[in-house]
Amino acid sequence: MTLSDTIAGLLGLNANDPLQFFLAAIIASAIVGTFMLVNVAIAGPWAKRKITAAFTDRIAVNRIGPFGLMVIVADAVRLLSKELIVPEEVDRPAWDLAPLVIAGSALFGFAVIPMGNGIQVADPEAGLAYVFAVASLASLGLVMAGYASNNKYSMLGGLRAVAQNLAYEIPLVLTGVSVVIFAGTLQMSEIVAAQTGTLATIAGIPIPSWYAFVNPFAFVLFLVANLAEVGRNPFDTPEAPTEIVAGYQTEYSSVYFVLMYLGEFIHIFLGGAIIATIFLGGPAGPVLPGIVWFLIKIWAVFLFTQWARSALPRVRIDQLIEIGWKGMLVLSFANLILTAIIVGVVV
Amino acid sequence: MGNPWIAIGALALVGLLIPVGMMAISKLLRPSVPEQGKRSTYESGEIPTGDTRIRFNIQYYMVALLFLIFDIETVLIFPWTVIYRSALENGVGLTRILGPMLVFIGILVVGLGWAWRNGAVKWVRSPRAEKRKDAR
Repeated sequence: MTLSDTIAGLLGLNANDPLQFFLAAIIASAIVGTFMLVNVAIAGPWAKRKITAAFTDRIAVNRIGPFGLMVIVADAVRLLSKELIVPEEVDRPAWDLAPLVIAGSALFGFAVIPMGNGIQVADPEAGLAYVFAVASLASLGLVMAGYASNNKYSMLGGLRAVAQNLAYEIPLVLTGVSVVIFAGTLQMSEIVAAQTGTLATIAGIPIPSWYAFVNPFAFVLFLVANLAEVGRNPFDTPEAPTEIVAGYQTEYSSVYFVLMYLGEFIHIFLGGAIIATIFLGGPAGPVLPGIVWFLIKIWAVFLFTQWARSALPRVRIDQLIEIGWKGMLVLSFANLILTAIIVGVVV
Repeated sequence: MGNPWIAIGALALVGLLIPVGMMAISKLLRPSVPEQGKRSTYESGEIPTGDTRIRFNIQYYMVALLFLIFDIETVLIFPWTVIYRSALENGVGLTRILGPMLVFIGILVVGLGWAWRNGAVKWVRSPRAEKRKDAR
């Protein structure tokens, strides 16, 4: 049962009628969309500052509200009421559409993520393929932003974003697909269901058969490729504040900047949600309800990206191509074949 | 059970309406003080020189071509991974299900090795940067 079906049932709508089901799905999508926006609102203006400050031994926001939490409201109002400066000779339709593509495409992915307690907008059979497809749409937005801005830093940032995605998209997808060899399906709910068994019992504590424990090698590969996919250190070359100002977002101000920033954070959470679903058993966990475990897992991945951001130096763009094509790609092929052989021997 | 793609379409609509709504709110809130000076693109505070849309060496052209091939290959691997386990459980031999894929990936890896040896898998330096390196 997906959330859309549940809502259709509650409102007495016929799920087989496309229009009535669409209405129910809109409500379900609004719930999931708002839920993710709340997460991003906490992460972007507040948690990110607090975490970075903790790593660099500072205090960060603490003036407005308890723990400085009200800075979220203050920042939202401040940024939305800024003047939108349109630079000279920007490529107008593309420049306006880029923030929309970046913020929108990251939200699309959450349609198929099972968040526990029956919160999942849709559950198509090709779920995993869909989520990889929409997650990589963001790079289109980055290129649009980079090219349309008519700024040399933006142009370099956009081109670097392409180089980075070329280098990391294939290892990411190949490693993600190695999980499908175990699960035998692309449907997200089925992948989660396949991880409910017990792998081993160590000192009386059952270790669940999450794919992170079944195949830790793939998990590490995926974590690294995901850092590159969301453009965080050590792979933040497209933004590289010390080299090319802010990369593709140099010329964006006001609400467009908010959307770029928002899209980036939703993308990090989408990466976290994919990792949680295919490697960490989705919403599974003891005692607490599923949705809480799901939140813990995506925030753990978020914390990991912020840790990497504070702790690791940036790699150069030419090094990045070499790591991607000569290291990660070969390793992900090895992982795929090894997984297939192990499954073949065990089954 | 409704059609899941209708639900995904609904989320796509919501996913676009959220940013559009934010743009609309901002439009109501923000001031507009058009001035000539602040509209110029940012170039470290200097007056911008020349156009951005020029012919430009992107330095990873061959890598991009390779990406096309490998991207299509991942699409071809997807269906194989889905049926792999159920085929084994239904008694199809390991060599019959794994063999062809090993050959397929083998060809790709040999191709990657060839491209690697010929220097296609790297960031291509411009002739000028190369000359500067030699002079050092």
